[in-house]
Amino acid sequence: MSIKRWARLLGGLAVVLFLGAAPGIVSAFMVQFLINLFMMAILAESWNIIGGFTGYASFGNVAFFGIGAYTTGVLLTRVGFPFALALPAGGAVAMLFAAAVGFPILRLKGHYFAIATLGTAEMMREVVYNLEFTGAGTGLVMPILRTPLTFFYLMLAILAAVTLVNWWLSQSRFGYGLVAIREDEDAAAVMGINTPLYKTVAFALSGAFAGLAGGVYAYWITFIDPDAVFKVIITVQLIIMAVFGGTGTVLGPLLGALVLSAVSELLATQLATLAELFYGLIIILVVLFMPKGLSDLIRQGGLSLRYFARNLREYRI
Amino acid sequence: MLLLQVLVNGILLGGLYGIMAIGMSLIWGVMNIVNIAHGPLIMLGAYVTFWTFTLWGWDPFLSLPVTILSLFVYGYLLQRFILNLIVRAQLFLTLLITFGVEVVMVNLARIFWSSDLRQVTPSYAAANFAVGGLTIPYVRLWVFVTTVVVSVIFLLLMERTRLGRAIRATAEELRAARLTGIPVGHIYAVTYGLGAALAGAAGAMWGMLFPITPIMGGALTLKSFVVAVLGGLGTMMGAIVGGLVLGLAESFSSTYIGPTYPNAISFGLLVLILIFRPTGVLGRGEGR
Amino acid sequence: MAILQARRVTKLFGGLAAVSLVSFDLREGEILGLIGPNGSGKTTLVNVITGTLPYSDGDVLFRGGSIRGLPPYEIGRLGLSRTFQIVKPFRNLTVLQNVMVGALFGARGGARELGSARRQAGEVLEFVGLAHRAHAPAEGLNVPERKRMELARALAMRPTILFLDEVMAGLNRAEIDEAVELIKRIRDRGITLVVIEHVMKAIRNVSDRIMVLFHGEKLTEGLPEEVLNNPQVVSAYLGRRYAEQAHA
Repeated sequence: MSIKRWARLLGGLAVVLFLGAAPGIVSAFMVQFLINLFMMAILAESWNIIGGFTGYASFGNVAFFGIGAYTTGVLLTRVGFPFALALPAGGAVAMLFAAAVGFPILRLKGHYFAIATLGTAEMMREVVYNLEFTGAGTGLVMPILRTPLTFFYLMLAILAAVTLVNWWLSQSRFGYGLVAIREDEDAAAVMGINTPLYKTVAFALSGAFAGLAGGVYAYWITFIDPDAVFKVIITVQLIIMAVFGGTGTVLGPLLGALVLSAVSELLATQLATLAELFYGLIIILVVLFMPKGLSDLIRQGGLSLRYFARNLREYRI
Repeated sequence: MLLLQVLVNGILLGGLYGIMAIGMSLIWGVMNIVNIAHGPLIMLGAYVTFWTFTLWGWDPFLSLPVTILSLFVYGYLLQRFILNLIVRAQLFLTLLITFGVEVVMVNLARIFWSSDLRQVTPSYAAANFAVGGLTIPYVRLWVFVTTVVVSVIFLLLMERTRLGRAIRATAEELRAARLTGIPVGHIYAVTYGLGAALAGAAGAMWGMLFPITPIMGGALTLKSFVVAVLGGLGTMMGAIVGGLVLGLAESFSSTYIGPTYPNAISFGLLVLILIFRPTGVLGRGEGR
Repeated sequence: MAILQARRVTKLFGGLAAVSLVSFDLREGEILGLIGPNGSGKTTLVNVITGTLPYSDGDVLFRGGSIRGLPPYEIGRLGLSRTFQIVKPFRNLTVLQNVMVGALFGARGGARELGSARRQAGEVLEFVGLAHRAHAPAEGLNVPERKRMELARALAMRPTILFLDEVMAGLNRAEIDEAVELIKRIRDRGITLVVIEHVMKAIRNVSDRIMVLFHGEKLTEGLPEEVLNNPQVVSAYLGRRYAEQAHA
């Protein structure tokens, strides 16, 4: 690997270490905020694998989050597994689910794929809501873990891992294959890329990390119910974070999560509903004025009225 | 006898689903926009009906033209000044922006009208009439009749008027339509306005049968999508057929299987249809 | 030695036979020209052979083994590459990156790691004369450059057989001559070619043999001089004036 790449990797490591030291410096409230931030960043980065690199914009990734949460939750409460087993199991089940569902669904294109994924997430919510052993509508209550730092480091580790995967995608043959699929799937196929396999693997990877985030979330928040972990707004948030930062880039989704979480947190102190309204407005503004995300904005020379005006005109009728 | 009752319930419900879906199918067919904000439009129609009923005592069936008109204006403006700006973008972005509109609408409704359950209950709300062993609530029957009337008017509009022709021309070939002098920005806005108006009408009807809340739209968007796809995209007739199919499926499943499963069933149906027959029952071939 | 054998290949769309009972042998190392009016099934035939469209009937053997029913990526890996009539660039990548995809995934799975793929892609770009645009975004290319990149991508796959679908459409006379030279150089590298074209002068110059399709059926095949003077071909496709000019 080249010097530049080593430098980047080391830089990333430095950031991780720096963040790792954060709990010693910042307030407990800030730690909780960071845990939530890391979680959203994981979701955005994991979505990026299938949505950004592969170009299959899934609108149902919250399904994997919820499945991870519930798998871990059920194993913890009903089956009595230790968390060290329940968490990876959550990720694994979410990954298998993604692979299984992906096999038929990834054959759809465009709107159909998006809505099918949305429908899948909704269906999972219904199913979980109706099943006894998942606690049905009442939800599950986890045993309490009195070391909040565990969650902090877990989320940080998972975030580092998923970002590393994204980085690997940007540097690898597999990643090139995904990008080719995004750019022109028919051409990619005749060029020798096993498109069904690649898409499914990307989807499964995306699901695995979302599932892990869900597993940690369940234990952290100690109570989950179907409405909380299968919320459509979570999908919306993670997508807009990825778009805001720049889909298909390595750090874009993370940046997007950082900025949008911070701003929404500021607003949430005012009024809970305002946070959701904020996200809705942000989506509209971002799609209109900067659909290519922060990374493109920076590359084109930073904040300029002309950049925004150009984007505004680009797709008009 | 139960079978017949279930059948009738399914048909009455199906008519409502049909008219809910026509608006979505129209917008999708003409502009290739899957309107995630469709549900909130239905919700808005329900609220307009509710407030005119609660504040001024207007009968919900008689206030229908007002609801339709106000939703049309809202939809027109939304398309003209916001959605027209990204109409040629990739599918993902148009989907995302309608998502944004959905979130904004739902949360504004929450802020202004609270999350309390509302219902429109005119004096005749509880009255039924019995024919041959069947019990048919008056309201449901009138809703069905209204949906038929509105559908017919809409179909006539699309098939027999200049406006309808302009819309269909723009749907088929945007550039050619523009070249023949059709003001496509305006036509798109009118189309969305019509879609919104239909959704509003559906909402007005819905509000008489089911509780009204700011979040009622989510499930309805998905159902409309299911109906539109079931019946076949781009065909209005298809939306009606699809609505009947879904109405009957829900009616049967909630009676014979259990009431908490209808949503899972419609979503499951959707995923199956998308995989096996994406062109729908009457469809004209989109899909893969 | 027939490297590719097509046996009664048929493709139906509903009731319409886009390709009907087409059989031919492709000899190793030759350049086979494929001509015919628009809609005669040339591109459809290539689509079926390369796995983009399913067969309605018939079979195709590559080195004796049937390739019917294989997915397009398998066929690409076996060594059959094609260009598309309407080019399909990877718009958000550079020219070099576009060609790298071909190098990474082509015949026998392609290169395993990016470094050698990059080198191979660089060589191919040199070969087709596009090296000076290696780092340009694919979006910014003009028509002849796009055609070249499409060709380079297919070449980077290290194919045994290369199907070119109207690579000369939209080129001017000088560019066409260059293209003909390039095609010959590709053959010199040991690649067998099937060239779909409408530019008669080019086809006559470049082909060892020519096959003519008409309404999905094979009308005739043979040496260029024979085929281009064949009265059926003249009346079906070329037109009398062409034939007269050719003789004059």
